[in-house]
Amino acid sequence: MRTNWRQKIYHLVLWLVSIVFFLPVVWIITGAFKTKDDLLAIPPKIIFSPTLANFIDLFSRHDFFSSLRNSFLISACAVIVAIVVAFLAAYSFSRFKPRGTDFLMFVLLTVRMVPAAAVVVPIFLMYTAFGWKDDFWGVMLFYAMFSIPFSVWILKGFIDGVSPRFDETGIVNGGSRMHVLFRVILPQVRPGLIAAFIFNLIFVWNEFLFNFIIGGKKTTMIPVSLVTGSISQGGVDWTFVAALATVYLIPPFLAIYFFQKYLLVGMTFGTVRGEV
Amino acid sequence: MQNDPTSAQAGSGAPQVVGGRLRAWRMNWIDNSRYFPLMLLLPVLIFFLLWNIIPLLWMVGMSFYNYSLITGMPPRFIGLRNFFDLYDSYAVWGSLGKTFIFVFFAVGIETVLGMVLGILFWGSTNLPGRRLALTMLFSPMVLTPAATGTFFRLIYEPTFGIMNYLTTLVFGTKIDFLGDNFWAMPAVLLVDIWMWTPFMILITLAALGSVPRAELEAAEVDRLPWLKRFWYVVLPHAKFILMLGIVLRTIDAFKVMDLIYQLTRGGPGNATEVVGITLFRKAFEGFTMGWSSALAVITLLIAIAFTSIFLYILNLRRRGAQS
Repeated sequence: MRTNWRQKIYHLVLWLVSIVFFLPVVWIITGAFKTKDDLLAIPPKIIFSPTLANFIDLFSRHDFFSSLRNSFLISACAVIVAIVVAFLAAYSFSRFKPRGTDFLMFVLLTVRMVPAAAVVVPIFLMYTAFGWKDDFWGVMLFYAMFSIPFSVWILKGFIDGVSPRFDETGIVNGGSRMHVLFRVILPQVRPGLIAAFIFNLIFVWNEFLFNFIIGGKKTTMIPVSLVTGSISQGGVDWTFVAALATVYLIPPFLAIYFFQKYLLVGMTFGTVRGEV
Repeated sequence: MQNDPTSAQAGSGAPQVVGGRLRAWRMNWIDNSRYFPLMLLLPVLIFFLLWNIIPLLWMVGMSFYNYSLITGMPPRFIGLRNFFDLYDSYAVWGSLGKTFIFVFFAVGIETVLGMVLGILFWGSTNLPGRRLALTMLFSPMVLTPAATGTFFRLIYEPTFGIMNYLTTLVFGTKIDFLGDNFWAMPAVLLVDIWMWTPFMILITLAALGSVPRAELEAAEVDRLPWLKRFWYVVLPHAKFILMLGIVLRTIDAFKVMDLIYQLTRGGPGNATEVVGITLFRKAFEGFTMGWSSALAVITLLIAIAFTSIFLYILNLRRRGAQS
């Protein structure tokens, strides 16, 4: 009886910690349903009459749907391209270990570790010179490159975990190399593919700086429109920010609810495996 | 009627044979190639050439030039002068110092707090609604800083912000967190800690999960004191994952840019101007491309050093696992 009681306290504490970390997000979401006066009221209004006016205002902005579409389209296309390319490379790295594998893996990792602000300068110069700015393909392929290092690292880890015996059996039984690649190996690394897909999607979905610099009217994604569109009449339009942020936060939130077991692998380049 | 299925079969059979033949021909070509590994690598190498090698060479080349987008003058070769200029620049050393302070406090506090909370969450396997609780706990790190950073500006806002409502309740004064020279850095740090402590909790949970259950049970049987149990049983297994997590977090903290850009734009003055912000400001507000490229080269070197440390720890762990 006493242990049961203690366990209840323990669970209560855990829930409280979780809620404390979630509070700022709650503040954003409730803010989206408040009127401007309610949102800026001091003392803060805990109880308020919810309104949908902010969302109606948001949906009536002509650039909202275009940037939402851009966000979906660019991140999905970029991640799919990246994963296909990364899967082939990871297989090659894992099975054939061509000369320079270690070096290439190192370089790939470095690409991800360089501050974005350092990379953005040469990318900006290159895109201006080639005229790729504000071009769907230019932006999408940049994000594909942005996702490749992470995908290669994750997928190589998973393919390393599949015994080469499978390849040998496949070849001996008359399967072609492509058959081995896509019918034997691919199904076995499905968790890696899912983790790479979900987390690259989140990273591209959240990316701001590059879209700000090399994007334009035709390729604006939501973080940029959030930052540039938040200013109206000299002040910040907070209800707009809250409504747009709320819409925007839903996919990552759902992603880590449904794919929670991939969170660890996803946040550590596939170097730490396991569940939490 | 009787004819139909057979003709359908024949109809569907014929293309299959052709398709099979076609496929066999294609596969032979691939299967017999000595360059199969290279063929698999080719797409990545092309991506690499276009989006990494070319910009890299561009950046290194540009760092030897005086190139400003404002004057409209063609780039002028000045050798290493940009780098000497960086070395003499008060702003660069200042922002490196700010970055160091930021990284040190952010990673330090996140590690300690994350480990404490991670240990707290260790026994949470039968927590009711665990999935939702963990989703809430881990959500700060997957939400875009463009949104959360912007919104934290409202939270810190001196007249309407909830933070100042709390400070007036507790201390009786208002603090302009993001506009004050002293408070700007702690305020930014607090947001970073909110965002990334969950990551260290996650890492701690993984590290604790890597401790073999048998050894924990042995320690339980031996009635080892709590601290000794942690030091001799848990830590030897957990330390690799913890170190990996800390290095990853250090690299990410070093990269910080859009969060601070959203919160303070590096201000007030340059109180929160970390390297990323300096780079961005010089390149896209000052338009001095040569100078920024030189600074970018320096940050690239720092990043290479960090990556080497990360890989070193990773290899250490592999070797440990093999022996």
